Amino acid sequence: MDAAVEITDLTKDFKTGIRGGWLRAVDRVSIRIEPGEVYGLIGPNGSGKSTTMKALLGLVAPTEGSCRIFGSDSLAVDSREKVGFLPENPYFYKHLSGAETLRFYGKLCGLGGRQLDERVTELLDLVDLAGARDRRLGGYSKGMLQRIGLAQALVQDPQLVILDEPTAGVDPVGSRQIRDLILELRGRGITVFLCSHLLEQVQEVCDRVGIIFRGKMVREGRLDELLAIEDETEIILRDADPALVGRIAELVAADGRASLTHTGKPRTTLERLFLEETRKREEARSSS
Amino acid sequence: MSGSRPRLLNPGRVGVIARHTFTQLVRMKVFYFLAAFALVLIGVQFLDLPVHHSPESTGVQLLFSIKSAATGTMTLFAVVLGVVATALLLPKDVEDRTLYTILAKPVPRLDYLAGKLLGVLSLIFVSLVIMDLLLVGVLAVKTNAVVAQQLAMADAEGWTAAMKANLEADTRQLGPTWSLQGAVLVVFLRAAVIASVALLLSTFSTSTLFTTVVGFMIYVAGFFQADARDFYFSGGEGMGMAGRIGSLLVAVVIPDLQIYNVIDSVIQGEVLEAVLLLKVVGVTAFYVLVYGFCSWLVFARKEI
Ligand SMILES: Nc1ncnc2c1ncn2[C@@H]1O[C@H](COP(=O)(O)OP(=O)(O)O)[C@@H](O)[C@H]1O
Ligand SMILES: [Mg+2]
Repeated sequence: MDAAVEITDLTKDFKTGIRGGWLRAVDRVSIRIEPGEVYGLIGPNGSGKSTTMKALLGLVAPTEGSCRIFGSDSLAVDSREKVGFLPENPYFYKHLSGAETLRFYGKLCGLGGRQLDERVTELLDLVDLAGARDRRLGGYSKGMLQRIGLAQALVQDPQLVILDEPTAGVDPVGSRQIRDLILELRGRGITVFLCSHLLEQVQEVCDRVGIIFRGKMVREGRLDELLAIEDETEIILRDADPALVGRIAELVAADGRASLTHTGKPRTTLERLFLEETRKREEARSSS
Repeated sequence: MSGSRPRLLNPGRVGVIARHTFTQLVRMKVFYFLAAFALVLIGVQFLDLPVHHSPESTGVQLLFSIKSAATGTMTLFAVVLGVVATALLLPKDVEDRTLYTILAKPVPRLDYLAGKLLGVLSLIFVSLVIMDLLLVGVLAVKTNAVVAQQLAMADAEGWTAAMKANLEADTRQLGPTWSLQGAVLVVFLRAAVIASVALLLSTFSTSTLFTTVVGFMIYVAGFFQADARDFYFSGGEGMGMAGRIGSLLVAVVIPDLQIYNVIDSVIQGEVLEAVLLLKVVGVTAFYVLVYGFCSWLVFARKEI
């Protein structure tokens, strides 16, 4: 079976400036993503994530190397039948409404008639924009634009979805919605290739990650393997009194080999706190 | 998905992009220009025209004025829209990254370009049809009025029936004729050529201002293209190498718009021969295809 994504030794040079300097944006990067996987490419700004994705979509031509989607070369138009793309900071036609936008992209994929109408309604429900169906995109918030962009990427029911910074500039509630959508896609067996510089989010959804820095792939592997700290073990206790903690510390000291590196309260993340509090308020409001 | 669709220039796909471009322009409120056109048509009738004392010249000037003001405004609208809309829409898609999302769908770049051009041209066409209907209406009413006036004057001067019939036929020739319809079509065709020039410019220029200015310069230069070409082939006496190369460049790069000047003779009441109109259609098709093809060559390689 063909890999969903097969990037082989991709190199991309850009001409910079007027006097013909060259910039190597991507330097011999290879990525292979199996069908059904969620792959996250992480790296700081300017490290070549977007360029890699554009090459995969045939929007820029590789200087060297090749990109394939389900076995067909990215430079061929038909490679794009099975792929949906959400670009970085997407802007769509402001004069179209949410539903019109999805219809437009659906028609570009050759859909039409009742099938397309149903698909548009289904997608608007999926991204929670049914209420904004007939509003022009000029009045959409950043989070709504990102979600209509995601719906647009899904319009022809692609097997692979490529998301460039899907949660950049979106507030935590909005970015939670987008994460849930990605998890839902994974549940349906759709391959997802996303990139971000927001590491925490990548951590929550990806099976495998690659770290790219200055155009080069520096580390790649399964998320759980990359993150495990092999020589440490975590114990989390509930309702433990200080005496119990003291006895555990004594036991560890008696062991001779092991050492206790840290005790204390585990911290929630600020993000989790924020989400919890806003959710509580939301519930209080809807129940009153 | 369906493998039966043709790869390039799929009519459905081109149609979707064209229709979208059309809607986009309509929502940019370009149709307000039609109100301006109506005002011009109304305004022309209040012109202070010289008073004549012979039947054959009475009111004729008014008919000329209506026709030349109308075709002039039509040309202005068609050319401005052809250049500006084309110059605006493509860079806008690049800037807003909407082009990414379009080309990330199975849309060949040729289809995208063809759709954009077709969208702009259909908007120009529809606008011209509406303007043409207005023009024909106004001109028909005015021609009848002028004929009635002339015949009354001729009666007073005791013209024979044959002379009067002749007079009426001559005057009606200045009214809404098929030749005039042909001239409006020529206005459209000229705009099509200049829009495809703007399309080519906007595929390699990143600035809307550059495309617009150069587009208009080429439009103006198009009227002198034939002279430059003659100059080149006559051997360019009295000019140095630079002059010769310059005129060669003008002759090759710039479309020859002189053939479109038939509009002027139609306003003067001359008949537009079908053969000539066909020739204009052919020349237009040639230019649109050449500029369209060059646009594709540039755009296909473009890093967006
Ligand atoms: N069209 C382009 N022309 C010139 N340089 C570019 C172009 N696109 C990207 N670059 C450069 O390539 C590098 C990688 O960019 P990009 O892939 O957008 O990074 P990332 O998405 O990881 O932030 C950057 O230094 C950027 O300036
Ligand atoms: Mg980027």
